[in-house]
Parts: sequence; C-alpha cells; structure tokens
Amino acid sequence: MGRLDEATFAAFHARTARALRAYVYRVVGNASDADDIVQEAFLRMLRADVPANTEEHLRRYLYRVASNLVVDRWRRRRHEMGEERILTEPASPRPRYEDDAAVAKIFAELKPRDRALLWLAYVEGESHEEIASSLGVGRRGVKVMLFRARRRLRDLLQARGLLVSS
Amino acid sequence: MTEWFDLDQDDEHAISAFMSRVANLRVPDLGSRTPDPAELWCKAKLLARWEAERRASRPLDIMQPIEIAGGLIAAGLLLYWSIPYL
Repeated sequence: MGRLDEATFAAFHARTARALRAYVYRVVGNASDADDIVQEAFLRMLRADVPANTEEHLRRYLYRVASNLVVDRWRRRRHEMGEERILTEPASPRPRYEDDAAVAKIFAELKPRDRALLWLAYVEGESHEEIASSLGVGRRGVKVMLFRARRRLRDLLQARGLLVSS
Repeated sequence: MTEWFDLDQDDEHAISAFMSRVANLRVPDLGSRTPDPAELWCKAKLLARWEAERRASRPLDIMQPIEIAGGLIAAGLLLYWSIPYL
C-alpha cells in the first residue's frame, strides 16, 4: 500500500467509517460527539502520515486514535460535571430485555473503557493482541481489563435481574 | 487464556447474548456534520500545510523580538556614546 493517496483513502474510509462510527457512538452514547470524534480520528490519521503497510495497520491506528479521543472526552466531561453524575445514573427497576433502550442504557452504565473493550472483543471479534493495539495498551493488561469489564457487565445484568447465576 | 480470567460459562453466554443485542442496536444515521472522504482529505492537507508554514516561520517569529531588542540596545549605546559630543 505504501503512502496513502486520495483514492486509497476514499476506499479505506468507505470500508471503515460506518463500523468506526458505530463503535464510537456506542461507547460515547451521543451521535454528535461520535461524528466529531470520527472526523478527528480520520484527520489525525491523515496528518500523522501513517505508513499504510496494510489496511489492518491503518485500521488499528484509527481505532487507537478514536479510543484515545473517547477517553479524553470522557475525562473532560467528568471534570466538568463531576464523576457522580456520569457514573451513577438512577437504575430503572426492571428493564425489559426485549427493549432496545434498556439494553443501550445498561451498556451506557459501564465506563467508556469497559464499553470499548467489550465492543472490540465481542462485536469486532478482536483478539487480545488486536485490542491491545487498538487501545494502545499492553496485551497482559487487556486480559485483566477485559475480565473486569465482563465481570462488571455480569454484575449489572445480575443487578437488573437479567442474569441468574450460580 | 488462564482459568483465572474466565467467568462462569452461563455468565459468559449471557454476556455474549447481551453484546450481540448491543451490536444490533440501531445507530443514528450519519449526521450532516460527517464530512465525506474528499473533504477530509482536503482538510488534512490544508492543516498539514498550515503546520508546515508555522514550523517554517517559527525561527523568524523567535528572532523578531531579539532583533528589535538588539536594535534598541544599539541605539541606546550610540546615544550614550554621542552624548559628550552633543
């Protein structure tokens, strides 16, 4: 692939923008912020002049930039609003599992980093190495963080009565 | 993966099912603020050019106040030395 030219970038954008936007939207929970982050991630990738050895390499770079922007945005917002308001939304008593809004709400109760990890692992089907590369963290760290994210999600599902576990 | 990092199989199954529900949730259509790739390409090139110009003119920006200060000092010294002859 070498250096990116405009046509290659357009093709790459067509193949990745939708999936990236779905990922960012689900992690930040706001379409307008997701659009801003996706745009900024593509711009940073272009300005960094990343050697486009493989499309997968570019894709990882893009996801890493987007993930960092998501975390930056979350930290900024937490600073502005105070952690309490972001993390402790009142839990509705027994959401119906069939209800999309309830599913989205439960997912939104996780921290952005957990949402990103779970999305990359379960939706994108990435391996630990790939997640580590996408998030810019160590591979061993991913194992632990992913385990904790899964445990937190399990606890949330249990608390909502959506999971009967031993 | 070590056993230590594994959840109960039922829990794992429930999490997978939940995540597949999350994956299928509707994502709002692309907003009007999402630029097309051509627009992004132009914007990136423009930003890169501005950055290059800023980098190129940085030494000039740094030197300008030094030149002014040097000029003022030289003028002051000239004035000081010329006072006895005035």
